This record gives sequence, structure tokens and C-alpha cells, in this order.
Amino acid sequence: MFRHTPLRLTTLGLMAAGSLIYAIIAGFFGLEILAEIAILAILVIALDLVAGFGGMVSLCHGALMGVGAYAFTVAANEAGMTALPAMVLAIALSAAIAFAIGAVCARSIGIYFIMATLAFGQMGYSFVFQSSLFGGDDGLSGAPRLDLSALGIDLTDSRTFAFYAIALVALAYLVAALTLRSGLGRSLVGLHHNEKRLRALGLTVWRAKATAFAISGAIAGLAGCLAAQHTQYISPGLMSWTVSGEALVVVILGGLGTLVGPILGAILFVVLKHEISSITPYWHAIVGLILIAVVMSRANGVFGFIEARIAARTRTRKPTLKEADADA
Amino acid sequence: MSTDLGFWVLQMLNALQLSMLLFLLSVGLTVIFGLMHFVNLAHGSLYAFGAYVAASLSGAFGYWGGFVLAPLAVAALGAVLYFTLIRSMRRAGPMAQVLVTFGLIFVAVDATRLIWGDLPMGSAVPKTFEGQLALLGVQYPIYRLFIIGLGLTVLAALTLVLSRTQIGAMIRAGVDNDQMAACLGINVERMFMSVFVLGCALAGLAGAVAAPVLSVTPDMGLQILIPTLIVIVIGGLGSLKGAVVGSLIFGFVQTFGAVLLPTLNSVLIYALLAAVLVIRPEGLLPAKG
Amino acid sequence: MLETRALTKSFGAIHVTKGVNLKLEKGERRVILGPNGAGKTTLFNQLVGEITPNSGSIYLDGQDITAMRVADRARLGLSRSYQKNTLFDGLTIRENLGLSAAVALGRGQGLWSDPLQSPEVVETVREVAAQVDLAPYLDASVNAVSYGIRRQLEVGIALATRPKVILMDEPTSGVGPEMSKGFHRLLKALPRDLTVLIIEHDMDLAFDVADTITVLNYGEVVFDGLPEAARSSQLLKDIYLGAWEDA
Repeated sequence: MFRHTPLRLTTLGLMAAGSLIYAIIAGFFGLEILAEIAILAILVIALDLVAGFGGMVSLCHGALMGVGAYAFTVAANEAGMTALPAMVLAIALSAAIAFAIGAVCARSIGIYFIMATLAFGQMGYSFVFQSSLFGGDDGLSGAPRLDLSALGIDLTDSRTFAFYAIALVALAYLVAALTLRSGLGRSLVGLHHNEKRLRALGLTVWRAKATAFAISGAIAGLAGCLAAQHTQYISPGLMSWTVSGEALVVVILGGLGTLVGPILGAILFVVLKHEISSITPYWHAIVGLILIAVVMSRANGVFGFIEARIAARTRTRKPTLKEADADA
Repeated sequence: MSTDLGFWVLQMLNALQLSMLLFLLSVGLTVIFGLMHFVNLAHGSLYAFGAYVAASLSGAFGYWGGFVLAPLAVAALGAVLYFTLIRSMRRAGPMAQVLVTFGLIFVAVDATRLIWGDLPMGSAVPKTFEGQLALLGVQYPIYRLFIIGLGLTVLAALTLVLSRTQIGAMIRAGVDNDQMAACLGINVERMFMSVFVLGCALAGLAGAVAAPVLSVTPDMGLQILIPTLIVIVIGGLGSLKGAVVGSLIFGFVQTFGAVLLPTLNSVLIYALLAAVLVIRPEGLLPAKG
Repeated sequence: MLETRALTKSFGAIHVTKGVNLKLEKGERRVILGPNGAGKTTLFNQLVGEITPNSGSIYLDGQDITAMRVADRARLGLSRSYQKNTLFDGLTIRENLGLSAAVALGRGQGLWSDPLQSPEVVETVREVAAQVDLAPYLDASVNAVSYGIRRQLEVGIALATRPKVILMDEPTSGVGPEMSKGFHRLLKALPRDLTVLIIEHDMDLAFDVADTITVLNYGEVVFDGLPEAARSSQLLKDIYLGAWEDA
């Protein structure tokens, strides 16, 4: 079950402080990177919630993010909504679609779940790619940024926008962490470990899975809104399955099922991407090799590795409660 | 829409040609899954590698040189992969396998860019199969008929091997029940390796025959991956019949969808896959009852 | 409290349960005996809805539950433990029991608070831990405790739903005779209004806890009565002890 260990809280605090300080001192390019990290971080929080805790490894989260981005842009541009209601609508739509996907896929497990979500994601991608309403291959431009001028905040300024992006990551994290400590979150972890038993205890399994997927979809939709507001241009590429695959890679590199790890993964991934691609055009190959090495090492990503090392060190100093009990 | 018979014949042949290409790819992937429960997302990259090898060898050795050497080269690469990665990941669960082979795709795409560059490569149709053949009132490229014929030949050969030979019986036993196969004294390890390598060779063959009709690009492996996965999931993971049925369904839905329902075409096949997964989560013809 | 009428299930030509009639009164402790393959576990699977019978019907507290889904039956107060441990590995024993209690209290889908901290769940966990002797191990991970403790947790999870009827599938399978005896003491201390149906292999221990005994053989009820009658029944000795000695 999800717990806020001292290590996790410390890491969160360091990441928050680091990104806030960076947002103050960074130049334009740095602020762009910060926004990019924030979008990816929100997406991987959404993915880790279902994949890491519920065992529902989804390859449609890129598409769910795209639903958010497109719904936001269309609601603002075509329906003339202001940015805040457009965001609410976009997030609600992402959640509703995710609920439907979660309900339909609830019976599929393992590789079948992965394939089913891949199918739904690609369905959305193909639909948007061909649809004239959504600009097809060309994408859509002109999404507005949230207007917070009433509060004296101007989001067209890229430094202010970076702070806004960090705030949204914090919001996404809070929603995910609160979900995990709710009854639904407890059931979600239980489902991952033993679905049959939980059903025998009286849980309506499909509804729990679908609801968890909907919350995750809402968070992915939030990432989409942020992406649309950041570049103010969206293209179908956002919804491709490779985006979901990349998000999964980030979750794995960071530490599956730790919620904190994937955020760390997002930071490392985006920074590495920019660092490596300035040296060589083959940065994908390097990410691939790192991914293979991490998975084959059986460590749970960077953060999981650190957690395991620290746990091993405290064990050698004093026996934990667990072992004391096992000895008794 | 055309009521002209020629139009239907033409589309039918196009659908068959696509189906057979997909069959060559999916049969290896699905039997590997049935036998070893291994999901190899990098299967498409092996196909791309086959296409590149065939295209670059066709200059020196002609089309047939590439046709023979590409499957062999891909089989050799498959053997290397088997001993370095696949074998140790066999019991790691679908998630780890998906991730490792996803990582392999990244490496493979950049490796092909590094070796062959970013520009598409072309390769010529062999002299024997140049030109068109009049068939039921349509002119159809002979080379594409050759692809259909090759697919059918491989299908016939595999059916024969699986149903009539001892190794075929062993593979069927292995797909049905892992433990039983081991109990029967089958050298499971060697069987796995042979099947994996054969599956790779077939992917290489598919790449070699596809090279003259498609443009050979670094991302061709990624592009074919999703159709191949759809085929084996619709058909039912692990079964030869499933691969045949899935390939035909994909080929026909895709081809006829493009001409009959152009607006819905790309969504159609995904909707079909979703429907199959909802109604029959194990696919239409799963290997295990 | 729990009743089956002519419950029949076959896989192909093999009948695994054949016209089984059972009737348990409230608070009754019944032990099901029978050799391996007699259809005992298949009977349980039908009672909780994990498999569907071919014919016959099942009543819980007077209500026909034959067509009801697993989760719905559980919510009516039917709970079971498994012969093979079916726990939430990786979680602590407290979390295992708490999850069970939370789901049974209808809080498995809630969004606004942590059910594991709620007073009802905490209280249930405390009580069940006392009932199955798990109090000292509550914060240990399931992976870190002995097999015997896990066996007790298996029953504890079923008890934490606060059921009206509990089905226990060989609760002491695989544990030593000492622990087995201890477990039967725990069983006898359960509240008297709880209806209990137990599959048990060890006859002496079965006679120790049973109010009534049912013997299954090849899916059919061949004996149904008091332990004293079962003990002296020649039929039972032939079928059950014969199979027992063979094994």
C-alpha cells in the first residue's frame, strides 16, 4: 500500500524546491524544459496510479492526454468557452472516456489489457488524424492560456507559466496520493495483488477498475490541457501509442508504483533527452539501452533502487519490526 | 462505388497480398508467444532489418541473393537476441518483456539509421516477376502475385510441419501445456530456440519480399508492429489458424475499408479489435481451449 | 441459513456434484468429509458463485442466490476461505484484514477518506486479529510470516467481512498437528450465531468441532447426520477410511 516514507517526502521536497528555484533563475530555454517536464510528470503520475498500483499497464494514456488537449482547444476555439470552463470540460471528458475504456477492459488482464488499451488509444489517434474538425494531420493551433489576470497573474509570461505548470504537477500528485489512500485506492492495490479474493469479499471489480482508470484519465487530461496551453499548438502525434510507450518507459526508469519515482523519472528523462540529443542524434538508442539495463537489473527504477539500498542499510543496523515479529 | 468485377478482383488481390505479408510476420510472433509466453515487440524491427539487408544486398547479389540471405541474417540476429536477452526474460512476466523489447525497438531504429542513414532505400523487383499479368479481366503486378503465392506456400509448409512431423507434435504439445512437453522428454530449451529463430527468419523473409513494394525506412518496423499485434490478438495468441484468420481479417478490412468507407477506415480496424477483445478476450481462435 | 437443493455440476461426462441437498441452521457447525476428488471444493465454488451449477438452487437466509454474482453474495453475508492461500501478498496483515473489512463495509469504492483509519475497520481488525491469534503479527508483511500464520490469515480475511455464513476450505491443510489443534480451539471460540461450513481432512479434529457431518463421495452426499452416527457408520468407514488409507 502507498505510504509517504521519510525518503519519499524528502525527495518530493527536494524536487519541489529545486524546480521552484530553477523556475526563478532559468532562462527562456530552461523554462521551456521545465514546462515540458511538468507535462510529462503529470502524465506519468496518471499512468503510475493505474499501472504501478493497480497493475493496469495502459498504452492509451497518450491518447487520453490528447483527448484533454483537443477537447480544451476545441472548446476554447470553436465553442468560444473561456479557458477555465474549457479545462474543466476537457478533464471531465478525458475521465468519462477513461471510465468507459476501464469498464470495457476490466476483464482483460496482462498482455490482453495492454493490447486492448493500445487498440483504444490508436482508435482515438486515427480518428483525430482523419477528422477535419480536429485539423487532421495539421493539428490545431491557438489554444488560449488560462486567464488569471484577476489574481494579478499573467500566464503569457513564460516564467509565470512555469510556476503554474509546477502547481499543476503538485495538484496532480495530490489527487493521485489522496486517491491511493481512499477506499478505492486501497481496493486498487488489493486488485493488483489478488483480484479473485477481492471479488469474493464483495467488491464490484469492474467498477473499481473503471473508476480508478477515470481518475487517472482525468489527470492525463490535465496534462493535455497543460500541453495545449504550453505550446498553444497540438497535433495528433500527441495521441500516438509511442507517447504512451514513452510515458511507460519514464514510469519504469523512475520506479513503478512509487508515485514519487516517476516524477524523478520525468525530470531525468527530459534533461537526458536534451543533453544527449545535443551530443548525438541517436538519443533514442541510448534511452533504449538504459531501459533494457534497468528492466534486466530487476531494480525498480532509479527511485526503487535508492529505496531498496536505504532499506538494506537500515536493516543491517537494527532489525525491523517485521523481522522481530517473524522471529517471535 | 464500382459494380465492375475487375474492381473487386483488384481489391481482393490487394487484400490478399497485405494479408500474406502480415501472415509471414504474425505467424512467428504468435507461435513464439504460444510456446514461450514471450511478447516480442521488436519483431517488427527484425522485419525492417530483413528489408534493409535484402535492399543492400540486391545490388551485389541480385534480388534472389537478398531473398535468401536476408532471412539467414535475421535468423542469426535472432539467435544472438535469444541468448543475450530473450532467454533470461522468459519468466519475467509480460510487463518486463514488453519493456525490454520496446527498448530494443529504440535501439534498432537508431541502429538502422546509423548503418543505412535516414533516407529511404529502394530495391528492384526481380526480372522474372517484372510486369503485369492479366487475371480475371484485371492487370495485376506479377510480383504481388508472387507475394501471395509465397505466403500460401509458407502456410502450407508450416501446416504440414505442425501436423505431420515429430517436431510439429512437440511444438503443439508445448503450446498446449508447458509442463507436459517437458515431461515428455522434449528438449524444451532447444525447441524454444529453434522456434524463435525460425520466427525471426520468417520476419526477415517478409522484410525481403516487402522491400521492392514498400519504401525501406528506419521506422518501417514500428509501422508494421501495430498491424501485426492486431492480427495476433484478433486471431488468438499462440495459434497458427489464428494468425491466418487474423491476417485475412486485417487485410480485407483494411483494403475494403479504404475504398468503401474512406472516412472511417483507420478507426475501423481498431474498433474491430476492441470488439473482439470485449466479446472474446482471448481472440477468435485461441491456442488453448 | 444456507441451503442447497439438488445442486448438480458436471464437467463433460464427469459429475463433480450430483444432486447435493444441504441444509444448515443458523449457528450450525458442519464439517464436510470426503476423499480427494469428492467434489468438496467444487461445492464451495458453486456456493459462492465462482462456478455456475448446471441445475439445482442455493438459498442464503431464505433468498435464492443461485444466479447471483460472487460479489453480491458476499455482500449478503457469505464468506469463504481457500484451501490454497489467497492473500494480498506484499501487504501487511493489518492491511489484509483492513481491506477485507473495508470492502465488506461498502467502503471499497469510496474516495473521500482512508477506510483503514476508520473506527469501524480498526475495531474489526482488532477483533478478528484476536479471534485468529494474529494480534502480534499485525504489522508484519504477509511475505515475512510463517506458513501457519498465513493459514490463520486466510481464515481471518474471510472473518473480517463479518459474515453470517463462513465456508472454510481445509483451514488447517499443510500445518502441523499442534497448530491444527490450536486452530480448532480458535474455531470453537467463534460467536455461536455464526454459521460455519468446513471442509476437513482430519477426522478426529472434524469430530471435535462438528455439530453435524456431511460426507461426499463422487459428488454425492452419502452421509448426513450427527458425529456420533458418523463415527459408527460402516459406510463412512468403507468409503472414507478406505480412501484415507490408500492415500
